[in-house]
Amino acid sequence: MTEKMSNFDENPDLEVSSKLTEDLQTLFKPLLSVPPEVDRAVQDRVNRHFARRRFTGARRRFRWVALWKVAAAAAVVIFAFSLNLTDTPKQDVRYSALAKSEAADFDRNGRVDILDAFKLARRIELASSNSADLDINGDGLVNHDDVDMVALAAVSLTPAKRGPGKGVF
Amino acid sequence: MESDHELIESANRGDSDAFDVLYYRYRDWVYRLAWRFTGNRADALDVLQETFTYLLGKFPGFELTAAMTTFLYPVVKHISVAVRRKSRRFASDDELLDELAAPASQQAERSRCELAAVLAVLPEAQRAVLLMRFVDGMNLLEIASALEIPLGTVKSRLHHALRALRDDRRTRDYFLE
Repeated sequence: MTEKMSNFDENPDLEVSSKLTEDLQTLFKPLLSVPPEVDRAVQDRVNRHFARRRFTGARRRFRWVALWKVAAAAAVVIFAFSLNLTDTPKQDVRYSALAKSEAADFDRNGRVDILDAFKLARRIELASSNSADLDINGDGLVNHDDVDMVALAAVSLTPAKRGPGKGVF
Repeated sequence: MESDHELIESANRGDSDAFDVLYYRYRDWVYRLAWRFTGNRADALDVLQETFTYLLGKFPGFELTAAMTTFLYPVVKHISVAVRRKSRRFASDDELLDELAAPASQQAERSRCELAAVLAVLPEAQRAVLLMRFVDGMNLLEIASALEIPLGTVKSRLHHALRALRDDRRTRDYFLE
């Protein structure tokens, strides 16, 4: 490579006068400048674009907040169910009703206690009885679920309107 | 003055004023290039708007990895081709140079007319590189990136273009002894 070419590679316009640049720019310069209507049209688009982005961003943030609220509410409901908060009162009423029922008082001592549960268990075990009288929970079967029900009624902590001496224990 | 990268960062954060600054910084450059590609003012203005609409669509999330002109050049070129095709007001660079030569012969210096005439017979690839360098003010690396060609090819095309101007007696005066 000659010295001239080497210089050209470093600075190709080394030997070009500034007049070439001036004349080329004059030749290729549009005769008229950009009209203000075009500027306004572009700026309108810019404003709409950024406004839409801001709105979309705000809406997205709102969605996230709403989503978190729903998730928190769902977590509270799931937690409540896990504690059996919803079932407990119903079951307590049921157990307390059973505790006052004669159907579960197998030893006829005037109250339903844990001995009635033992008695029922023994009857079921020895006689394999399918008597409807022993179907305490009313599911059509006579089994350990009925014993559990009597036992739970015996230890129920919310007896309804029990008189003195009518407590579970 | 904020750099292009700083403005882009601000625009990415939702600052529309930063985009406005970019627009006014490159508006005339884009318009001039579009006018050169399309050969008429109406199409050039369409290209100008489409180019900045395209750029706008890049926000937020736009990352500039080269010079702004390097990014804009192919965009302007592609949009110009599409606009010309659509409007059927096709004007080749040669036609544009013919247009340039006519009024210049009456109003401008004779040397400018002769320059236009010599440019008209240059191969388009060489003329494009010459104009990118001297009219658009892009350096050789930016030209190479914008045209997606090797730097050596840019140098070669520019060298041949300048040699053609130097060898022609009508444009020899543009070169230093």
